[in-house]
Amino acid sequence: MRKRSFAHTFCCAFASIQQKVYSTASAVLLLIALFFAQLLSAQTSHTVKGKVTNQKGEALEGVSVTVKGATAGTSTDAGGNYTLQVPDAQATLVFSNIGYADMEMSVNGQSTINVQLRQGATDLGEVVVVGYGSQRKKDLTGAIAVVPVEEVTKRQATTIGEAMQGLASGVLVRGGGQPGSEARVEIRGLKNLTGTNPLYVIDGLVTTANRDFNPNDVESIQILKDASAAAIYGSRAANGVIIITTKRGRKGPMKVDFAAKSSIQTTPRYDLAGKDEFVKLNYMAYDNAGVPRQNLNLDVNTDWQDAAFQTGNMQDYNVSFSGGGDNGSYLVSANYFDNKGTVISTGFKRLGLRVNAQGSKGIFSFGENLALTNARADEMSGNPYADVVRLLPTIPIYDAANPGGYGYGSESRARTFGTNPVAIADLEDRTNENFRVRGNIWGELKLRPWLKYRLNLGYETSADNYQYKRKEGNWTLNQAYDPAIYNENRARWQTMLVENTLSFSERFGKHSVNAIAGQTYQRDKYGQVWGTKRNILQNSSSGSYYWVLDQGSEPQTGGYLQEAILLSYLGRVEYNFDDKYLLNGVIRYDGSSRLGRNDQWGTFPSVSAAWRISNEEFFKVKWINDLKIRASHGTLGSSSNLGYWDYLPVINTFSTIAMGTGQNTFPGATQVRLANQDLRWEKLTQTNFGFDATVLDNKLSLTAEYFIAKTTDVLTYMPILMTTGNDGGNPAVNAASLRNTGFEFSATYKGKAKDFNYYITANLTTLKNRVLNLGYGRNDIFTGTTVTKVGSSAAMWYLLETDGLFQTQQEVDNYKNKDGIVIQPAAKPGDIRFVDHNGDGQISNDDKVVLGSPWADFELGLNMGASYKNFDLTMNWFGSFGSTVYNGYRSLVDRFDDNSNYRAGIKPWTPDNTNTDVPRAYYGSTLNSRGDSNRWLESGTFMRLKFISLSYRLPASFVKRIGFANAQVTLSGQNLITITNFGGLDPEFNNSNMFERGVYSFQFPNLKMYSAGLQFGF
Amino acid sequence: MKQFIRLTIAISVMACIMPSCKKDLLNVDNPNTITEEQFWKTEADAEKGINAAYAMFYKPGGWARWIYFRLDLTSDEGCSKSPWIELADWTRFQYVNYNFWEGNAITWRDTYKAVFRCNQVLANVPDIPFTDNSKKDLILAQAKFLRGLHYYYAAIMWENIPLVLEPSKPDDLPQQYPLAEVWTQVEKDFTEALAVLPVQWDDGNVGRPTKGAANAFLARTFMQQHKWQQAKTALDYFFTGAGSGKYDLMPNFQDNFVHTSENNKESVFEIQFSDVNKGGDGDDPNQNMGSHRAQFFAPRGIGWSDGQARYWLVNEFKKEKTASNSLDPRLRYSLFYPALQADFGDKVYGRNWEWNNDEAWFRKYQRDYFRTNEDYFSQDNFRMVRFSDVLLMYAETLNELDQTITAAKYVDSVRARVNMTPLAMAHPDALLSKDAFRERLKTERVLELCGESVRWADLKRWGDLETQTKVNLVAQRDPDFNNFVVGKHIRLPIPQTEVLNNPNLDQNDKY
Repeated sequence: MRKRSFAHTFCCAFASIQQKVYSTASAVLLLIALFFAQLLSAQTSHTVKGKVTNQKGEALEGVSVTVKGATAGTSTDAGGNYTLQVPDAQATLVFSNIGYADMEMSVNGQSTINVQLRQGATDLGEVVVVGYGSQRKKDLTGAIAVVPVEEVTKRQATTIGEAMQGLASGVLVRGGGQPGSEARVEIRGLKNLTGTNPLYVIDGLVTTANRDFNPNDVESIQILKDASAAAIYGSRAANGVIIITTKRGRKGPMKVDFAAKSSIQTTPRYDLAGKDEFVKLNYMAYDNAGVPRQNLNLDVNTDWQDAAFQTGNMQDYNVSFSGGGDNGSYLVSANYFDNKGTVISTGFKRLGLRVNAQGSKGIFSFGENLALTNARADEMSGNPYADVVRLLPTIPIYDAANPGGYGYGSESRARTFGTNPVAIADLEDRTNENFRVRGNIWGELKLRPWLKYRLNLGYETSADNYQYKRKEGNWTLNQAYDPAIYNENRARWQTMLVENTLSFSERFGKHSVNAIAGQTYQRDKYGQVWGTKRNILQNSSSGSYYWVLDQGSEPQTGGYLQEAILLSYLGRVEYNFDDKYLLNGVIRYDGSSRLGRNDQWGTFPSVSAAWRISNEEFFKVKWINDLKIRASHGTLGSSSNLGYWDYLPVINTFSTIAMGTGQNTFPGATQVRLANQDLRWEKLTQTNFGFDATVLDNKLSLTAEYFIAKTTDVLTYMPILMTTGNDGGNPAVNAASLRNTGFEFSATYKGKAKDFNYYITANLTTLKNRVLNLGYGRNDIFTGTTVTKVGSSAAMWYLLETDGLFQTQQEVDNYKNKDGIVIQPAAKPGDIRFVDHNGDGQISNDDKVVLGSPWADFELGLNMGASYKNFDLTMNWFGSFGSTVYNGYRSLVDRFDDNSNYRAGIKPWTPDNTNTDVPRAYYGSTLNSRGDSNRWLESGTFMRLKFISLSYRLPASFVKRIGFANAQVTLSGQNLITITNFGGLDPEFNNSNMFERGVYSFQFPNLKMYSAGLQFGF
Repeated sequence: MKQFIRLTIAISVMACIMPSCKKDLLNVDNPNTITEEQFWKTEADAEKGINAAYAMFYKPGGWARWIYFRLDLTSDEGCSKSPWIELADWTRFQYVNYNFWEGNAITWRDTYKAVFRCNQVLANVPDIPFTDNSKKDLILAQAKFLRGLHYYYAAIMWENIPLVLEPSKPDDLPQQYPLAEVWTQVEKDFTEALAVLPVQWDDGNVGRPTKGAANAFLARTFMQQHKWQQAKTALDYFFTGAGSGKYDLMPNFQDNFVHTSENNKESVFEIQFSDVNKGGDGDDPNQNMGSHRAQFFAPRGIGWSDGQARYWLVNEFKKEKTASNSLDPRLRYSLFYPALQADFGDKVYGRNWEWNNDEAWFRKYQRDYFRTNEDYFSQDNFRMVRFSDVLLMYAETLNELDQTITAAKYVDSVRARVNMTPLAMAHPDALLSKDAFRERLKTERVLELCGESVRWADLKRWGDLETQTKVNLVAQRDPDFNNFVVGKHIRLPIPQTEVLNNPNLDQNDKY
């Protein structure tokens, strides 16, 4: 196979690069040395200089200046100046900048071209990074969203994902809030049944934009949503691709930018019963059940939320130095981020340094991006969001009588196994620290004006350290004795990337062709060692422990290794005829070590086309400034949801047994987890139709997309029968086929009235998923609360249906099936009436029916901004409409069978209080509170003000006087207003279990945040 | 151009310094452990394989924890007052969610997980070359014994279960069998094991099943089916067969429940627990080899106290004194109860009685004899079959075969160990009829074996749960049986997801 042998020539080289640990480094050094060693004479070409201003004559910074039909380009510096070498004196320059209409100027031999850009609604001139290259936004044929970075960096967030919410259509972001937590990002819905995380490409390095990545370093974010756009990333792109570029220096004297943000965070709180209300309800539940009341401690009135929660804060400081000359530029940024959590004893700290530099000499250019980060999270122990509910107000926080000195449940006084969050915060300390180096270095060689070769070497490594410190003492009733225990692990993650690409760009009259061919090789490695000791030495006078593994007894150790390789070949051709007809074709050929040995390779092609109708002669609609329709079709693969060796059945060698009179230990070995050996590529085939239009004098821009995405051979850990005896996780299998159809619509209107500028953007996303078939020949998968059936959406609620309460004994007696059998003979007035769907005269599992969908009908983002003179106001709203969710919180506080705190104001049924949907309080029977009924379903609809900010740019004259170039203060708030009927803590929750998508079970909520920010530069 | 050439050369040089080239670049071997394909090649592999099957005794769904809830607490000997209501509901016939993990599904899963390990041995070991084929046969016999044992208890709990007899595949949808056919398979496994297992193992292997263990379980299997003649044949092994004289009662009753006198002469089969590993109960390094029972059954304030004994047991012990007119010493080592200190001078884990006056807890396998707290690492072996149980089983079998008078002497020897007078003196009425003897035997079994996980099978075998009248009698001792529905609760519901996801499996009757 020719491809294979071509592959081998390259991969031999690159495989062996990393075979020797340091040879990567030496190869890089060699390359750098090469560049410096070369003394090249400058090519003879024409140089153009100039200044770009707006209509007011103010200099515009960052304006993209490109040669039409070529990829050469630069951007203006802070003074609006640019210098560009153009291949010939007859070239045409294209000036584009966000918020301005594009402008084209012929060079015509001139060496100075000054332009004035006109403001417009469209940003079609924007250059978009599309993976192994860039395109003008107006030339796009696929579905690509550009996230407005200026909105992202205004927000106070730990990760970039969290900061993107609501800023692009078709992109769902959930999670965050907890110090150091990473949000889940989902592009265009559920493509498979396991992971949804998109691929992050940061400066060309395939990685994750995790908490170690400083959002302040971001220069641009583009989201590749459909198959044709993402196809260049082939097998990695099934869940979409987020391409991030980081800031770089621009030509000019050194520029210093400083930004500081300081925030306070508060957690939403439950409305729980206080002591008196709790006692009344608890007595009622015991009395109704005929159980002697427990001896509640009426002298105590603990507000567990006060005990477990605190006002958090966040501090985020960034400073950057950047600048550049004719042949090079640099940017150095430093970041300090500190988050004290809203839960006691939690926090997150990040210290980051970035150095980006690039230079060019003749036909060579090279650059590097390097980020060093140390991130440390003080992790939460237990789940205080559940514990504050499970604990009773009559339990004291401290109780000297208990080992460790903390209060918790008691058999006679407070029968609950709830965990004291103050105790566990003290007695169990978990920290996770990562030191990460992430960087790449690239070299580019312009072989011909139309031909470039690029080598990109990426490397990322992290040194991870997890520590678990367990002091002696208890946090819950009847807890088993544990001595002081120390567990620690240290790990190293490495990923290495080698990419070779050759790109071609030429214009022949009205035809313009861009093409790229390349190869990439990525290898991931992880290794961990861990150790645990018990009976850690304690200082008898201070009570403190010596948390090192030298101390203690009963040592345990372990460690393991992981490795995966991905090898790919890629090619893309972009063809543009007269800016009217655009055609784009991509092919990628991927091999993954995670797949079964006979199914490692897959081919993923895609095509897309667009027609700019507005450029046609016949098109004479005056109010339409630009109109483009486009269509695409393509196939992507996926294997990244897999573990490293899922296809391989292995032997678990960890069991040991005691045997013989001496009870000696003997080793055992057996297969524990089953495996499907024929794992192959999961394939996503996507068809996308869309149009982009700017109308009304460029004031209104519209984008709409309709797509059909079909995933076949979904790789998932589908549940198998317990009778297989399988353990250690369900085996991976090419199980299901899913189809997602969706519609995305985005509209932006920009208006202006004298000094008053404003814009409003609406993003609307609708999405429907349907299961086309399931693995192992099955027609459905059931979990405790949901069913996934072929022919309908995944994870539909499958529960018993309730039908109000029995009000009288007569109603109980008369509730019969058609044969006259009393359906709930044991019920009493005030109990729940369940619907006997199968009519067999009893309530059983067979009466469960599908009762709603956890999927939203549509999601809406509204972004608004207005500026007046030096003031700037921004608002982002996000809403989700039409989902049905399961409120795990209410299933705990609205039950009386077990001891936990109750919802404030709850009025259970009594003979005197019959007009209620809360059944009678009855201790010790789960019948009214069974988890598998629709009693706990609620509407998940909400609309939320995600972000609002007001900023003030200090007047230029004042700023200049104090020696600054610019200065701005910002006040902002996050999650300040939420409109919802959902009774849990936060309707915007995240459940990572695909089969329990809509289950709210005390996930960490989104926090309210109030921030003040200061930015200045000089 | 010159530069271009130089650069090209440089890049080529770079490519050339890289020496070797792996042929299959994408084939990354798992460096962590051997594959299934590489295993099952040597005698050592076979030994490890069978050892891994034993390791299933340490898993929480089975004999490390939850099975005691099904066998001891569900029976009229025990109950749960756990504040974890759903957990307690599963010991009083209030089965609402059939998927409840701790009450049902984990025990089901761990049963089949153990069966999978046995099946791997049975399928793979025959092809392994052994220098001494008798060693191979012994390994296969152990696997059969263990598979028989797990299916025996599955039959006691769920009755109509799928029989998986080959190594599992992910897409298996095994066929369900009615109880009678399940018993046939259990008999087959025990019988085949019996033919090969030794009378005794050497010191290094004590703890593996012997002919005695196989006969005892075979007898239990026959007795549950009222196949008394076959049961007798199996039990004859201990009295007239090769096992004769190999077993005896320990003089001190307590020796059967403490870790300092394990694998003694009274032990027919016991689970070898150990506390040397302090890990978790997953399939990870340093996995726990201890029992969690003591932590779950210890009185409130000491352990979770999710299970405790019914107080009628205390009264039953006190109904009859020893020959020297003192309390039955078995009471002392069987139960924690309010008068323990007054009667025998023993505190409860060093504490005075601080619980209700009508409460009791099981003392067997609790470690108060050397510590004041509990944890998940109890090293105290669980005696699955004791010789005194064999004596009582033999007595029951003989009685059913109309040899009541002969039967009495086996009961008497159990009584004599604790200085109780012979039945003929203490309970002459019991010898008058087969039925009377059976009734007396029920009490004798409780006094000797309470808390040892035999009671649920006993109640089923005696038919005490077959009619409402009989259930009412049981409910007098244990009010949990007021919830018992005849024909339904005699067996557990099968986990609902298993029923829904396997077309070859039906839910048990009335669920």
